[in-house]
Amino acid sequence: MNVSRYGEDGIRIIFGDTIDIETNKTIRRYYFFLKSLHLQEIVDIIPSFRSCLIHFDRDLTSYQALLSLLTEKEKEVGTIDVPEPATHEIPVLYGGEYGPDMEFVVEYSGLTKNEVIEIHTSTVYTVYTVGFIPGFPYLGTLDKRLYVPRLDTPRVKVPEGSVGLAQLQTGIYTFESPGGWRIIGKTNIRLFDYMKAPYSLLKIGDKVRFVRI
Amino acid sequence: MIEVVHPGWLSIVVDGGRHGYGDIGVPPSSALDDFAYNALNVLVGNEMGLPALEVIGSDFSLKIDVDVTCVITGAKVTAFIDNMPVKPWTSFRVHKGSTIKVKEILEGLRYYVGFSGAMGLERTIDSFSTNLECRFGGYDGRPLMKGDMIGFKEFKVVEERLIPEEHIPPMNPPHVLRVIEGAEIDYFTTESSEIFFGKGEKVWYTVSTRFNRTGIRLEGEPIEFKQDVDTSIISEGILPGTVQIPGNGLPIIMLYERTIGGYARCASVAKIDHYRLAHLKPKDKVMFEKIGIEEAEHLWMGKRAGMNFLLKQV
Repeated sequence: MNVSRYGEDGIRIIFGDTIDIETNKTIRRYYFFLKSLHLQEIVDIIPSFRSCLIHFDRDLTSYQALLSLLTEKEKEVGTIDVPEPATHEIPVLYGGEYGPDMEFVVEYSGLTKNEVIEIHTSTVYTVYTVGFIPGFPYLGTLDKRLYVPRLDTPRVKVPEGSVGLAQLQTGIYTFESPGGWRIIGKTNIRLFDYMKAPYSLLKIGDKVRFVRI
Repeated sequence: MIEVVHPGWLSIVVDGGRHGYGDIGVPPSSALDDFAYNALNVLVGNEMGLPALEVIGSDFSLKIDVDVTCVITGAKVTAFIDNMPVKPWTSFRVHKGSTIKVKEILEGLRYYVGFSGAMGLERTIDSFSTNLECRFGGYDGRPLMKGDMIGFKEFKVVEERLIPEEHIPPMNPPHVLRVIEGAEIDYFTTESSEIFFGKGEKVWYTVSTRFNRTGIRLEGEPIEFKQDVDTSIISEGILPGTVQIPGNGLPIIMLYERTIGGYARCASVAKIDHYRLAHLKPKDKVMFEKIGIEEAEHLWMGKRAGMNFLLKQV
């Protein structure tokens, strides 16, 4: 664990320098530890692949004060209850008009469309982080055979529900947005509902399996 | 009722931001000029956190069918109530049936319009702010359009208050933004980072015309990456004001619409200068000046104290 400042009101707690499942578990535990403290001075927590970024209220605390508090409480990290991650099945319609990059993936990987789908649906993925747009899950780890680079020029609009690949990750566009991932299909499940708490279907550490429809 | 007669170029509903949902990727979408927004609620005698309109562009007008106190803060504008001029940063009384009109912007970019009482809007995920990209919050998740009507939950007339001229922060270009070193500063050649941080010869960037609320793109001298580094990073949490450098070397100042970024971070704009980000217009000149984190913190705390004191005085 390595701690650094992020601007005047941020603390960046770094747990590793690669994308791996053990780091994800450690970050997830630390994130639940932070939440369990119910500190008013913590405005926001952004857990991601390598770190937890804490945004604190500079009117209520300082970097030094918050860091001492966290260090003092640190022994609780190992003992707090961390909920079991939820498992979700996401139905996907692969290829055709919903998967405009399927042909590219087939060509790039040298696999058939069926093999691509089979490989994509045979892994249970972990949500490494949620973000960029609300509810968007960064899922890993993708089978190496499906490795594809991002688009050189991102699309201006990727439709909501699109399922994409980028390097060794797969993800789902929760809103229509610009994006550079290679789109291979689409789900009809709503992953983010701003009308209803807890808003995001997927959370850090959750498990996801894609099902072909 | 407030009737939108002309919405300007872009008008949206904002507040202090949507906080506490960074873990599910929900960005703050806050009012970009925090001082102007907070001052607005003080000047019309509201509790903090009530919604205001954030407007870009002249030719903005609203018709109001109640007696209420109104104020315009942020960019310095010439404004009229019916045909009587009103001063920005000074609250004024609107009589039932009057029209508020903004004609011209003299300094800055975004201005804020608010009323004594509360507009009839509901919070979405704890905030009135509009998430334009995902189309939720604010007024139906979208910019205001001609003919839109916003009701009042409560409205009142309060005594006039003002922020004295000398306390209105400067918004005109050129913008010298103080910055703190970012997490990936080692990714860049020493020469490039010295240029970026304004050492030696001054290098000005220009605000790009590719313009939105997510980030401010700059044009000018590209920042060079060292030979052996990746130009992207493993995506990580970011805070508002982060300056990211994508592969083309041209800085992007991130605003309040992203929780995670995948580009190397060369700097963060010091909080004391965040309000200025609301006023960077296409073609404006921008320069960065490096300061230490302690100095940034000291400046910010000093400004906060001054602002709080000032807002208690008015």
